[in-house]
Amino acid sequence: MNASTKKWLFLKFSSAILIPLMAWFIINLSSIYDSNFGEVVNFFTTPPSKILFSLFVIFSYLFSALTISEIFEDYIKEKKIKNVANKALYLFAIVMPLLTIISIFILNL
Amino acid sequence: MQHENNPLAPHLQIYKWQISSLLSITHRIVGVINILAVTLICFWSISLLLGEANYINIQLILKSFFGKFLIISLCWTFSFHILNEIRHLAWDLGYGFDLKISKITGVITIIGSFILTVTIYLLGKNIF
Repeated sequence: MNASTKKWLFLKFSSAILIPLMAWFIINLSSIYDSNFGEVVNFFTTPPSKILFSLFVIFSYLFSALTISEIFEDYIKEKKIKNVANKALYLFAIVMPLLTIISIFILNL
Repeated sequence: MQHENNPLAPHLQIYKWQISSLLSITHRIVGVINILAVTLICFWSISLLLGEANYINIQLILKSFFGKFLIISLCWTFSFHILNEIRHLAWDLGYGFDLKISKITGVITIIGSFILTVTIYLLGKNIF
């Protein structure tokens, strides 16, 4: 299997998982966005919402990194700029979910 | 190398507007908006570590008209992305390639995204 096929499969796999997670999250977001501190903390720290939110963040960044790299492929011609942009994108897609999940677990302590 | 001379994506100013191109471009723009929104939501969850006193400022913004507008807008961008992604997955499975069907599913995606926005917001607010 070549790299492009693998990337396409990852993209479709993450997309299929992300669809129900997006629906779950946006319903809950419209429910808690104007709630008080305690209710919001409760949402982010109690299972199953803690686990589902962590998965939502991981798959959102995985999916966006894969799709935005395709946009770079379409619109950036300079190879060096494209490489730097892709590396920055993948680094951000790892660091951001990691920071979020760690902070949620600290919040739970 | 021939690969380096590959043409880039069609230039928007010379591309004839039709429902498929409109949805394709909107899907990309909405995808970028959604990941920026998810990043803000991540910062929002991280900001909870600062404690209740600091959260009051964020709560003031979220409770304002702007906050409500932001959430309803996100309901639409998420709804559109969900429906168009289902359309893409159907194509990947080999369904809906016919030009007429593709146009119909495109219109359903646009109209459906507005209906889904209202449904999601009302579900969130426990109005049903």
